[in-house]
Order: sequence, then structure tokens, then C-alpha cells
Amino acid sequence: MKLKAVGAALVLLSLFSLIFIGQSCQTPPAPPEVKEALAQEQDLWRAGASFFAPKEYEAYRQHLDEARKFFNQEELKIGYFRNYDKVREQFRQVLEEGNSLKNLVEARKAQAAGEIRSLKNSLYERYRIFDSFSLELTMRNFSRQHLAQADVMFKEVDRLLEQGKYDQAREKLKAVESLLNQAENILRRQLERYMDPAQVAAWKKMAERAVKRSEETNSLLILVSKLERRLTVYKDGKPIKTYEVGLGFNGLADKLHAGDDATPEGEYKVIRKIGSSKYARALLINYPNEEDVKKFNEAKKRGIITERTKIGGLIEIHGGGKDGLTQGCVALDDDEMEELFRMIPVGTPVVIVGTTDPNNKIISVFKGEKKAETK
Amino acid sequence: MKNLMKLSVLGLLVVFLFTSCAKQPTQQINDAKAAISAVEAAGGNIYAKVELKKLNDDFNAAMDEVNAQSKKLFKKYGKAKEMLAKVKADAEAVKALIPARKEEAKKNALNAQNEAKAAFEEAKALLEKAPKGKGTKADIEAMKADLAGLEAQLNEVQAAIDKEDYFGAKDKAVSIKEKANAIAEQVKAAIEKVKGKKK
Repeated sequence: MKLKAVGAALVLLSLFSLIFIGQSCQTPPAPPEVKEALAQEQDLWRAGASFFAPKEYEAYRQHLDEARKFFNQEELKIGYFRNYDKVREQFRQVLEEGNSLKNLVEARKAQAAGEIRSLKNSLYERYRIFDSFSLELTMRNFSRQHLAQADVMFKEVDRLLEQGKYDQAREKLKAVESLLNQAENILRRQLERYMDPAQVAAWKKMAERAVKRSEETNSLLILVSKLERRLTVYKDGKPIKTYEVGLGFNGLADKLHAGDDATPEGEYKVIRKIGSSKYARALLINYPNEEDVKKFNEAKKRGIITERTKIGGLIEIHGGGKDGLTQGCVALDDDEMEELFRMIPVGTPVVIVGTTDPNNKIISVFKGEKKAETK
Repeated sequence: MKNLMKLSVLGLLVVFLFTSCAKQPTQQINDAKAAISAVEAAGGNIYAKVELKKLNDDFNAAMDEVNAQSKKLFKKYGKAKEMLAKVKADAEAVKALIPARKEEAKKNALNAQNEAKAAFEEAKALLEKAPKGKGTKADIEAMKADLAGLEAQLNEVQAAIDKEDYFGAKDKAVSIKEKANAIAEQVKAAIEKVKGKKK
């Protein structure tokens, strides 16, 4: 009986011992920092750490590898002998490094995106100016083809930026720049006169002479500045009214012959007032004048225009709206034309110049481009 | 003495068995590498970027295990072999995903291309119908030139599809569609302008 009791006590004791040993030998769980770090590394890679901070990412990876190897070594030990304290510490350091790296990557990404956006904005400003100029020129077809393509690519750049594909966005902007350069070359050929100081000085002189005459003779004068799309009425040498105008389909060019859709430049006068024209009221000017005829004949002689080409005529200041392009006439909004029509008598001098501004917008655009190219 | 000799021989045999049985798993390494290369060749860098990265990481972890074991006296490559086998199996699974993803990208690019073409054709048709008056002639000429530019870009969409750059093709096609729609709106506005004047 006694033996049985001792035996039962021993069995119980063994059982308790086994439970105790089992509990104390239980394998400690791997520290959560291990999983966190591995997930963090994936996030960093997805965020583009290898691209935006390659050196720092490499160092981080190396530290992560070391920590992982250390963890693996610990894992090889029998559960009871495992101690994850150092592992935890190493992974915490890696996580801290990863957090700093994340901030660095975000900062560099923001910087890259900012640089690309700034480049895009400056190219878009060029595009916008060329787009507006191209509408006023004959060679618009060629320049606008390039500009339309550039516009499509601007939209692609926006998408690439949204997707964080900065390299591709940069490449796309290079293609945009090339298209803009091609468009610019076409436009430059049309706009060279506006960048020529001697030509601008000649226009300015012509305008000043006419204003002086208006002052001396106490008379009215109409001065049209094509580049600024501005018609100014002078009285006694002083501006009394200014209107925004539309020009010829090829408005910035000087008219040479019929059908070129250019607006003539020179000194003219109102020769007829037309009360009821196709485009509301109209003031007919004496294009072609002597200068125009001379220029036309020279061009014919030099073979610039064919023998059959005619010089054209019927150039008016008329209504119909400043937003529509004409075949060479100067167009105003109907209500403004009505006002001008009432104000201007037959015989009023009309001077049409390219521009009188020696620092006009074309010069600022193209000279600005030149500076940018040489950088 | 005899017993000692027997024990020594037995010991040597055991050591020999341990070391000779624990050769580096070269075959498994090569298989896993080949499986990852196959994923890359199938377009993994484009269509399974994240998965490919994980495969490479897992492979590197397996190689770490191989290297760790190779430095030990008693090498156990069992775990490394398991890891490498998993890499291989995962790579095969990833490779199997790619054709469907590629097909999906192609489908999206072709849809976008068709939509861009339709928007282009619509703008073109509108432009042909537009009244070429004094006030609209210039606008119409300009828009024709714009459409010519879009046509050139549409050709580039096809070129991108031919090169299997489906994401690039889709982005371009969507941008073309937007521009074509904008031109169509301009044409409509020009038509309205003429109508307004006639009233």
C-alpha cells in the first residue's frame, strides 16, 4: 500500500516535472521586428529606393542581410538556448535605418518630380507661345503638326509622373523639346523681321512720324500694331482710343500679293466708308499704295512670285469680330467697329506696322530660348 | 586495441558519410536560377516586377543558407534544398501568371488605340463638315494641322504595340483621345460661331 502511494507520488512528480521542463524549454517566438523589417524592405523597393537612393539602399540591404543571417544562426540553436534579444536589437536598428531611408527616398522623389514638373512647365510655356504664334502664320501646318504632337506628349508626361516613372517622363520631355525646337525653327523663319532691330526701328520711325503729323495738323490717325494686335486712334498726336483687333490668316507677314492672307504694312489712308458690308461697317484703305506696287514688281522680277500673280486689294478695317482671322484685313468686334466708323472720316491716315516695341514678345521668347540653349 | 581500431574505422565512416552526403545542392541552385531567368525572359520585369523581386530575394536567402552550411563541419543542406525548391516552384507559378497579364495589357492597349482612333475619326469628320467661312477658315486649317500631328502620334501607338510596349501604347492612345476630343470641341465651337453669325 505504501509502495503504491510512493509510486503514485513519483508519477505525479514526474508529470509536474515534465510540464515544467516542457514550459521552460518552449521555443521563444521569433521577434516581430524580423517580419516587419522584411516587409519594410519590400515597401522601400516598391517606393524606388534602389533608384532614388542606391547607395543608402545598398547599405540598408547589407545591414538587413547581416541581421537576417544572425537570426538564422539563432534559429539553428535548440529552442531552449535561443536568445532573440540581440536579434531584436539588430532588426530594430535596421527598421530605424529603413525609416530614415524611406524619408530620404520620399524627399528625393519629390525633388525629382519637382524638377521634371518645372522642366515641363517651362517647355509648356514655350509650347503655349508657339501655339499662339503658329495660329498667325502661313507655315502653321508644319509647326502645328509638331505642336499637336508635343501636346499629346505633355499629357503622357503627366501620366508618367502620376505613376512615378520619372526616367520615362524625362525621356518624353526630351522628345517634346525636340518637337518644340522643330516648330520653333519654322516659326523663326516667319518671325525674323520682328527680331531685327533695324526693321523694328524703321516701323517705330514710321509710327512716330505719323503721330507727329497728327499733332502738327490737328488730325486723326489710325495706327495698327500687328504684333500687339492693337489699333489706336490718335487725335492731335494723342491716343484717344485703343481696340484689340484680328489680322490676316497670315497676319504677321507683310502683304505681297493677292491670296497670301497677309496684312499689309505701310502708310495708307481711308478711301471709302462702307456703311453696310459683309462684316458690319468697313473702312476701305488704299492698298496697294506706291510702295506696295514697287515691292510687288521687284518680287516678280526676282521670280519670288509668278507672272500671273496679282497684287490684290480691298483691304479694309471691318467688323466681324477680333477673334476671327481674315484674308489680310483688320477686324474689330462689331460694336467697336461701329464706334470707329462714326469717328473716322474718309482721308484719315492709316499706318500699319509690325511692332514699335524693340523689346517685343518675339524677341523675349526667342532670345530667352537662346539663353536656355547655351546653358 | 581491436575494438579501438573498429571504433576509429566506424567513426571515420560516419564522418565520411556525413560529409559525402552533404554536397552543395548545385543542381537545385541551377534549377532555381534557370526558373528565375525564365520569368525574366517571359517579361517578368514588366508584368511581374514585385513577384520577380521576391523570387530574387528568396533565392538570395537560400544561397545564404547554402553558404552558411558550407562553412560547417557537419553540413545540412536540407533546408537550403527546400528553399531552392520553393523558389523554383514559385518562379514557375509566376511565369504562368505572365501571359494572362501580358494579354490583359495588350487588350487594354488595343482598346485605348481603338478609342483614340474613333475620337480622331470623329474630329476629322466634324472638321470636314465645318463651314469654311472667313471667320473659320484659319481655325479649320489650324485644326487640320493639329489632326495631322495626331495621326503621326497614332502611328506611334501602333509602333509601341508592335514592340509589345503595351503600357506606353495605352498611355499615348489615351492622351491622343483627349487631344482629339479637345479638337472636336473646338470644331463644334467654330461651327456654333458661324451659326451664331448667320442668325
